[in-house]
Amino acid sequence: MAATLDVRDIHKRFGALEVLKGISLTANQGDVISLIGASGSGKSTFLRCINLLETPDEGEVRVDGELIRMVVRGGRVKPADPVQVDRIRARLGMVFQSFNLWPHRTVLGNVIEAPVHVLKKPRNEAIDQAMALLDKVGLAAKRDFYPAQLSGGQQQRVAIARALAMEPLVLLFDEPTSALDPELVGEVLKVMQDQAGEGRTMVVVTHEMAFARDVSTRVMFLHQGRVDEDGPPSEVFRAPRSERCRQFLAKLL
Amino acid sequence: MEAAAEPGTIAYYLDLLRIGDQGWGDELLAGLLLTLQLALCSVALGLVFGLAGAAAKVSSAWPLRALGGAYTTTIRGIPELLTLFLIYYGLQYAIQALFGLFGGSGPVAVNGFAAGVVALSLVFGAYATEVFRGAILAVPRGQMEAARALGMARSVAVRRILVPQMWRFALPGLGNLWLVLIKDTSLVSVIAFSELMRQTDVARRVTKEPFFFFAVACLGYLAITGISTLVLGWAERRAGRGVRRA
Repeated sequence: MAATLDVRDIHKRFGALEVLKGISLTANQGDVISLIGASGSGKSTFLRCINLLETPDEGEVRVDGELIRMVVRGGRVKPADPVQVDRIRARLGMVFQSFNLWPHRTVLGNVIEAPVHVLKKPRNEAIDQAMALLDKVGLAAKRDFYPAQLSGGQQQRVAIARALAMEPLVLLFDEPTSALDPELVGEVLKVMQDQAGEGRTMVVVTHEMAFARDVSTRVMFLHQGRVDEDGPPSEVFRAPRSERCRQFLAKLL
Repeated sequence: MEAAAEPGTIAYYLDLLRIGDQGWGDELLAGLLLTLQLALCSVALGLVFGLAGAAAKVSSAWPLRALGGAYTTTIRGIPELLTLFLIYYGLQYAIQALFGLFGGSGPVAVNGFAAGVVALSLVFGAYATEVFRGAILAVPRGQMEAARALGMARSVAVRRILVPQMWRFALPGLGNLWLVLIKDTSLVSVIAFSELMRQTDVARRVTKEPFFFFAVACLGYLAITGISTLVLGWAERRAGRGVRRA
């Protein structure tokens, strides 16, 4: 059986700077993989390469066995078929550091937008499903509020509901709690933990070491565009083999 | 026949504004209506030019960017009056040449309204291009990324996420351009199109009462711009919904 997410040997350059120097990741159904590392280590860029918000210069991305086809046109690597990319992105939910909720739509409007306009679900059905998800993240009462009327933690929970509304195979989190006030971090981590508990496949870029240690099934430590340490959290946190990983964790724990 | 009022009295001036053969009221109202039609047609076409221009200028294809740049640089760089003359006489030559090709001959007259709309909308569009371009860049990148990450096609994301948010940033600038456009319609009077300014001019020459008719014209323009300001305020509040409520 094909892995849910299979990413191989991703390279990414910004001009002369090589940010990713060959990173691979395989996630099976129910895996929760935490990507940790110092800022500038390339972990967010790698995450954005998975759903092609950044186009990798080399490497392969397979989702549920399907390879995203790339071509070289005019000396630059591009997706061969934008429709294929859209179709695959619809199966990969993404949660951003700065939430990126749409300010001109209500909470409910944000959650039903993609189901209605990408999956072409009937509006009533999308609303029922959205309300169930908002209930799950504890925000059903805020359905008619606009994002600007919510706290950061509430906005991020809506953003998670928005991603879940597409019933994604994998959820990608790009530092989901880094923009939050400390007292709001817990409510977002709780929702993520619930998802992990339900067997959701997740890839999480995070600075929350407690989450990486307690919730993830695997931890990858990135350093200067390479995977420097990779293993189950028990091993990585108790006895890291890489010296750099040891130093990084010592500073944070 | 009733006796004419004494010049200088209020009754005399009211007579000047009468509807019918004796007064200028109907001519001025017809002029006001044409001014409004000219402005509305020009803004409709001008918004199309502006959106197309902005799309060209933020495009990743350099020929489109060059075309957009040439458009705004040229139109914004020459006086509106000159643009109007170029369109008015240029269209005449062009159509005449086209007629000649099919064996036709004789002079061709271009409709002043059509020439006015084309010239004014080109001008409006050139400035609106910059307003729209700035507005597109003002929408945070993450807004489009969130839509694309959910699998939304680019065209759908532009229509449902980018454009509604862009309006909020574009409206104050567009409101300015609309007010300028209303006043620029008076330029079309020089090609003998009988909008409000032209009618005012005829009236003051016949009656030898320039200041009275200039004042009436001022009120006519102020009526349009005043109502516009109210409508624009409402539109800005509407486009800003969900933003300033927190």
